Amino acid sequence: MAQILTVSPSPHINKHHSTQSIMLDVVIGLVPAAIASFVFFRMKAVVVLASCIISCMVFEVICNCIRKKQNTLGDLSAVVTGIILAFSLPPTIPFWACIIGSGFAIVIGKMVFGGLGANIFNPAMAGRCFLTACFGGMMVSWTVPATLDNNMPKVGASSVAPAAITQATPLGLIKEALKNKSAPQDEKIAAIRGIFKNMLIGSTAGCLGETSTIALLIGGIYLIIRKTIDWIIPVAVLGSAFICAFIACELDPHHYVAPWLHLASGGLLICAFFIATDPVTAPLTKKGMWIFGAGVGALTMLIRLVGEYPEGIMFAVLLMNSVSPLIDRFTKLTPAGGKPNV
Amino acid sequence: MTFKGGVHPADSKKLSSHCAIKPVPVPKQLSIMLSQHIGAICTPLVNKKDAVTAGQLIANADAFVSAPLHSPVNGIVKDIALCSHPVLGRAQAIIIESSAENQPKQPYPARFDSTFDIAPFSAEQIFNAVRNAGIVGMGGAGFPTSVKIKANPQAPIKDIIINACECEPYITCDYRMMIEWTYQILAGAALIGKTLNCGNIYIGIECNKPDAIEIFEKAIKAAPFAVGMKIAPLHTKYPQGGERQLIKAVLNKNVPTGGVPPMIGVLVSNVATAAAIAEAVAMNSPLTHRAVTVSGHGIKNPGNFYAPIGMAVGELIELAGGLKDNAVKVILGGPMMGFAVADLSTPLTKTSGAVTVFTENDIVKRKETACIRCGRCIAGCPININPTKIAHAVKNNMLDIAQQYYLSACIECGCCTYICPADIELTGYIKTGKILVARQKKLMPK
Repeated sequence: MAQILTVSPSPHINKHHSTQSIMLDVVIGLVPAAIASFVFFRMKAVVVLASCIISCMVFEVICNCIRKKQNTLGDLSAVVTGIILAFSLPPTIPFWACIIGSGFAIVIGKMVFGGLGANIFNPAMAGRCFLTACFGGMMVSWTVPATLDNNMPKVGASSVAPAAITQATPLGLIKEALKNKSAPQDEKIAAIRGIFKNMLIGSTAGCLGETSTIALLIGGIYLIIRKTIDWIIPVAVLGSAFICAFIACELDPHHYVAPWLHLASGGLLICAFFIATDPVTAPLTKKGMWIFGAGVGALTMLIRLVGEYPEGIMFAVLLMNSVSPLIDRFTKLTPAGGKPNV
Repeated sequence: MTFKGGVHPADSKKLSSHCAIKPVPVPKQLSIMLSQHIGAICTPLVNKKDAVTAGQLIANADAFVSAPLHSPVNGIVKDIALCSHPVLGRAQAIIIESSAENQPKQPYPARFDSTFDIAPFSAEQIFNAVRNAGIVGMGGAGFPTSVKIKANPQAPIKDIIINACECEPYITCDYRMMIEWTYQILAGAALIGKTLNCGNIYIGIECNKPDAIEIFEKAIKAAPFAVGMKIAPLHTKYPQGGERQLIKAVLNKNVPTGGVPPMIGVLVSNVATAAAIAEAVAMNSPLTHRAVTVSGHGIKNPGNFYAPIGMAVGELIELAGGLKDNAVKVILGGPMMGFAVADLSTPLTKTSGAVTVFTENDIVKRKETACIRCGRCIAGCPININPTKIAHAVKNNMLDIAQQYYLSACIECGCCTYICPADIELTGYIKTGKILVARQKKLMPK
């Protein structure tokens, strides 16, 4: 009996999962939306996705070298950031802008805080925010999907080359449609119905990953079934957005669209399932998750309904990220047996 | 009904659940640790070279919260010396060399059947028998049982729960006792009920032991002394056998943080303890032997043994066929809360229910990575505290923050470490934090 025995604190077994396997699950959850983006935006989607993912990984490696830390590419968090950033960019964006956005996301959004787990803001949203600030024009130029039917209104179709035919996003279109006071009401409704149908399958203008409602739902439900994400945040985000939109619609149906249109559009789904659920930047406690999710949903709708931007996910998420440590503090857990008498 | 949180590790009980409890041949030498339980450490009553007989009192303490020690065998006190202790590192032990004529002690279950009568025993007799037999909580906590069954008119016990969960993976000795020693366990439960004048007796069994539930149901119907006892089938979930979790699951009551079950009128006793009580009261036999599971993939012939307290872990392993070549970790206890031992001469104590041996493939090669704040530790925490926050506070030496997040409420069940995807030793940090706080408050020497 000459074996050398290992000694360590209990427990001596653990569940077979890791940060890597969790991130891999998120990547798998994003695959349906990626496929949809390839179908609708073809090469443009490939270029944006590839340049975001590769540059996120390269920046992560560079940062680790500078910090003299071990390589953390294996945890796949850079890949997830890359995919989510790409999904939140318009397909027309040039590859160099993708690289700049990825650089900001990884270097400033994540690494300067100390790497994965220490960042305050969702890195992908930080990167997108930077791009919006720097290249506002690029960020709102939407391409028509390759499969779009010809009845849809196009912006500038006659004046530019077909490759750059652009169109407003569904939310933009709807905002325009509703503003058009001269058009009869049922015509508006028909137009909106058409837009909604396209939104379900994703054949509409918009950011890479946000167009196909069905693909995002498949991915999101996969993550919830796998218990990779908690169901609370998606439900809270969508629920509070729905309630806000419902109230607005009830108050002034001529001015505001039906709430389900809001839920299915403008990246609210990708936000609910993939962005707001980023564990690092969301609160830890269940009560905190409800508050956080409800805040994201409500702020998004506030920006959409009252503000100038047709979409408000990015700002809503970043704002709520900044208060999530506070939410954690206010939702401190009490032990099952109550507070101890000290 | 169940408690909130918890985890679902593979129970791995098949390795040894079919093995009946076997008495072991008397070992040549036993080391009886003077500190086997919570409470005052015993003082030896024997000297070097004294002859002792089986069942003789060899150490005692005057304190109320303590339990005496008895020699399991006939023999000679070889020495009173430092010996490796599973929890305390090294501690004093009475080392007894057994004489050649010793016969292995047989367990008593045959003496208990449905006709067992608890009437002849008064509450005081039962209390004295338990106190004199040195019985402690054999599920792992090691709290002297006499203290628990001392009736307190200020806080009467209204419910008694017999803990038959055995939620730790690999361990099967309680399960074997349940199916082999059924009446003895029920007799023990009835005796506890009698001392405390309490008829509400529940037997909490996890649903992964359907045969044990069936056997208990039949026995309760057959035995007049067990009339009115209730079986509580419970979810198979770790730590279902934790005292607080068991009470929550059976009675839907929370034990106050920092408090003990009697504060809400509940007493919890493990099946092994109940069996030992029955033996002590009816046979006047002190607690010198216990059932121990030897299991794990690193052991050649896993099994359940009836072993004397003080037997070296290594000898028990030899009886189970010895270690496989790829065995790398020997744990005294189960994989969730057991203590890894470095020295196979470490003796069994009254609370050692198992020896689990792991191979290279079973052990966790932890390389702590960054916390991604996924909250799985919180979701898995059976007492609803924030393990990651506490662990990081301890890591950064911020003990005040760790205490604000209820460091002291932790029951050290290990669920958070088990479930952490970043492989952070959360339970380890929390245990360290508790020690640091105790030192800070000068409750513990450096």
